[in-house]
Amino acid sequence: MASVTTAAVAAPARFGSISRGRKRTLYWSYFFLGLFVVFFLTPPLYMVLTSLKSSAEIGLANNPWWVSHPTLENYAALLGSSQFLIFFKNSVIVSLCVVSVTMVIAVMAAFSLSRMGFWGSATLATGVFLTYLIPDTLLFIPLFKTFSWIREVTGIELINHWWVLIVVYPTLTVPFCTWIMIGYFASIPKELDEAALIDGASYFQLLTRIFIPVALPGIIAATIFAFTVSWANFLYPLAFTTSTDQLVLPVGIVTTLIKGDVFNWGQIMTGALLGAAPPLIIYAFLMDYYISGLTAGATKG
Amino acid sequence: MADAVVSDFKATTPVVQRKRRWISVGRHRSIVGFLFALPLIAVIALLVLYPAGYALHLATLNKSMQHFVGLGNFTFLFKRPTFWAVVEQSCLFAITAVIFKAVVGFVVAHVVHNIPQKGQRKWRGMLLVPWVIPPAMSTLAWLWLFDPSYSAFNWVFQHLGMSEIPWLGDYRWGRFCVILVNVWVGSPFFMIMYLAALKSVPDQLHEAAAIDGANWFQKIWYINLPMMRNIIQITALFSLIVTFANFDIVKVLTNGGPVDKTHVFGTWAFNQAIYSNDIPLGAAVSLFMAPILAVAAFFILRNVRKRGNEA
Amino acid sequence: MKRMFSRRGLLKTGATAAAVGALPLPFMHGAYAAGSLSVGWWDHWVPGANDALTKLCNEWAAKEKVEIKIDYITSQGGKLMITSAAEAQAKSGHDMITLPSWYGPAHTDDLEPADDVWTELTKRHGPTTASMTYIAKQEGHWIATPAISNTLTLPSVGRIDIFKETVGLDLTQMYPPQGGTPNKELQDKWTWDFFLQAAEKCHKANHPFGLAIGQTDDTANWIGAIFNAHGAQLVDKDGNITAKSDAVKHMLDYFKRLTQFLPPDVYAWDDSSNNKALISGQAAFIFNPPSAWAVATRDAPKVAEQCWHFPSPKGPKGRFDPAQASTWGIWKFSPNKSAAKSLALHLWETDSVKQLVAASKGYDIPCFGTLRNFDTWANEGPPKGSIWNYPPRGDVIESVSGSPGPARIANQMFAQATMAKMIAQHTQQGKTADQAIDWAATELEGFMRT
Repeated sequence: MASVTTAAVAAPARFGSISRGRKRTLYWSYFFLGLFVVFFLTPPLYMVLTSLKSSAEIGLANNPWWVSHPTLENYAALLGSSQFLIFFKNSVIVSLCVVSVTMVIAVMAAFSLSRMGFWGSATLATGVFLTYLIPDTLLFIPLFKTFSWIREVTGIELINHWWVLIVVYPTLTVPFCTWIMIGYFASIPKELDEAALIDGASYFQLLTRIFIPVALPGIIAATIFAFTVSWANFLYPLAFTTSTDQLVLPVGIVTTLIKGDVFNWGQIMTGALLGAAPPLIIYAFLMDYYISGLTAGATKG
Repeated sequence: MADAVVSDFKATTPVVQRKRRWISVGRHRSIVGFLFALPLIAVIALLVLYPAGYALHLATLNKSMQHFVGLGNFTFLFKRPTFWAVVEQSCLFAITAVIFKAVVGFVVAHVVHNIPQKGQRKWRGMLLVPWVIPPAMSTLAWLWLFDPSYSAFNWVFQHLGMSEIPWLGDYRWGRFCVILVNVWVGSPFFMIMYLAALKSVPDQLHEAAAIDGANWFQKIWYINLPMMRNIIQITALFSLIVTFANFDIVKVLTNGGPVDKTHVFGTWAFNQAIYSNDIPLGAAVSLFMAPILAVAAFFILRNVRKRGNEA
Repeated sequence: MKRMFSRRGLLKTGATAAAVGALPLPFMHGAYAAGSLSVGWWDHWVPGANDALTKLCNEWAAKEKVEIKIDYITSQGGKLMITSAAEAQAKSGHDMITLPSWYGPAHTDDLEPADDVWTELTKRHGPTTASMTYIAKQEGHWIATPAISNTLTLPSVGRIDIFKETVGLDLTQMYPPQGGTPNKELQDKWTWDFFLQAAEKCHKANHPFGLAIGQTDDTANWIGAIFNAHGAQLVDKDGNITAKSDAVKHMLDYFKRLTQFLPPDVYAWDDSSNNKALISGQAAFIFNPPSAWAVATRDAPKVAEQCWHFPSPKGPKGRFDPAQASTWGIWKFSPNKSAAKSLALHLWETDSVKQLVAASKGYDIPCFGTLRNFDTWANEGPPKGSIWNYPPRGDVIESVSGSPGPARIANQMFAQATMAKMIAQHTQQGKTADQAIDWAATELEGFMRT
């Protein structure tokens, strides 16, 4: 907030009232910030509290906002359960594969659409975003048919195997990542690639030697986006995977930890927290890249 | 912006003496370009367009999927009161949630922008948390907060001497809850977009306005809002698409109840297709999102084009 | 008697059909030396019940040299329904899958008929229940093999202490444990009218009854039973809509009074909410199989000691217990149908059934009268005898929600919880009884869709 300091330092005497006004605004800002932080953080905080309670304590129904006998038994139970570790492993594998596949497809496509051009490329560049208009709730039913068709043609069984998610998730990640990358590549001066091409570089070299290094922040942002989406999706794994050894975290937690058993909520909240941990950790370190990557494209207009 | 790129390219090419070479290079270029974009085209064609076309086909079949009924499923839907209730709730849900997300995001962006630079990162990090947690996970936390027998909110109300609230038991509260959770999940996204837009508003404008005696409201109304208009539109429209197609929050929180009053297109389509074993009807319901989203698409396209031309 | 006879007759035709169409029965045992079988069983709510089933399946697999893969799929959140719908669509997945109650008939076209298995089972164990026949026999054919787990009733579970103190009724006297003399007089007083008074008293004592009026199976089950006990049928057995009747109106009126005494958010309850209400010690009464009590013995022993299972209240048409008859469906696309049938027959050996019933702490009720006399129900506790009266006996009629409607309509009524929604419209959303009934009639017309 450069303007605060300039105004306050440059003209404290003449604009005293403004400075006082600024101060009041500042207090109000902190007040509202506090309110919003409470609103935004209550559920995660409650997850933490509940995860530290034993089933018996939850069953007593006394003060839900306090833990009288903190215990790590829920964490021990989940981290010691092979089932939960399988969910975790599946989530990690699926997300890593989806991120890699997505980035290869998106970077190549963005390079082609922003620099090379072919018949219909302009339409494709704008149209790629429109794939989001066809929601997953519409696609999951016909996708069953697509998969059985794939099975007949190739013999590869997709349904009820975790790798089906590697096939479907790119539909959710690729369009947005391509869009981000087009924005980044467009900002690279055209003289650069013309010079490189005249020097005899191939398009592939142009992409790997010049475009990818220059657009690295955008690539990081798109990677995080792809990771978050593939970590969080719920409908596709709910519809396409069943066996407990094929499930990923969100569906695994929702379907195996919620039971008729009543006080399993300690474990459910623990599972939810552990499931939320990887994206949270990534954000803690790479938030700035992500924010600048997401907003760079949008604020250009 | 891609059209801009392409036209720029055309503008730089006509170097007369090299024309012949450039044509072959151009052809080579477009073939390679097509190959580079081929995976993208394959993903969209095979996993989005083909299934979408198949969904259209499904929507024209009868319940047991044995014969063609044309628009029969749609005329059937038009006669169902539940369908109209779902249309109403979907619109109410999406529009209200997007408005609140925009308002909350706008306010939060401003208060974050108002505090000294060095503290902003920390606050921004905390405010982003709801958006980072997978929604299916965080909705579970909300579900537990709203639980009939163990609601932590009701515990507080009880101790403050207020009456308990049937969070998910009454349809008005149920609608409130699904919107609340959606706003909670989505507003951080608005916040970062708006914050970025705010940062691009030149400080000189505010200083000048301050000297002219403008109050905070006038500054927001006459400076920030016009400067942020483009990004507000894009964000809101993008969010509208996602919110219309919402599935996980409603599914986990209320599963459409009580009495189907909180169903949105996605969850009701799922309900009809899976629970009632009526896949064509489910497909028909899902398709209903298309015209509504197409309107949004029209505006988005216009905005994206605009962005392209300005870039 | 007449009914028995006609069923036998039907079975005979079924047997001939099987003999002509399929391999003769002996072939189903050990005729193959290898192969693989993948089954999707319902994930049992009683802790430990899955293990017993796994053990039996593995025994069978070892004996028959079949490679078996077992998945336990929860019904919570509709996961099991999603899976069966998905597999029916994709024409691939498990070979055999548990289809809870109405989800069996919903998939008739995709299921391999099980007439041959049923012939063998009736030879072994005698005739099955009317509720199982109603679900599993469609258009003259047995559409699937009966399931042991998830076939159950949902009778009353009451708190002995609260009922004694607040209602003045000794549950253990009304329905005593094995060996006791049932108090006929008290049982005759145990009617739906008395139930309403008891609900009011317990509500005043801050222990409201935990009766779900949500959109899930438990809701559909118990409301189906109370409707049948009053002869309130939305659809008759020929598929005519009979919602506009005095009996249905009476039911709406009854619920208007009853819901005043229930927690305000029963409209959002799912299958686990009533369990929670009981185990937390809040509810004096729920309709449930013994799973809630079984969990309570682990997590809230003080509550469990006071739980007593006994039949539903009596209505003008009789004493109807909510019943859920589930099936193990074998998909038509399954490459190993004979192995699946052989497994079903193995699990239905008297000794296997006994083990499964014991492991489920009496939760599962086999659909053959001859298999309902294991000592599990007499001995499980504490309190000992709590579930002695859980399997239907005496004047109890097993009632499937939506019966006697034809399958295609009744299964939608069940899946969409039409009766509960009609009640909610009247009791919660301010619609008159006539409006609510009109609404239900429109819904039912929609269910006629083919």
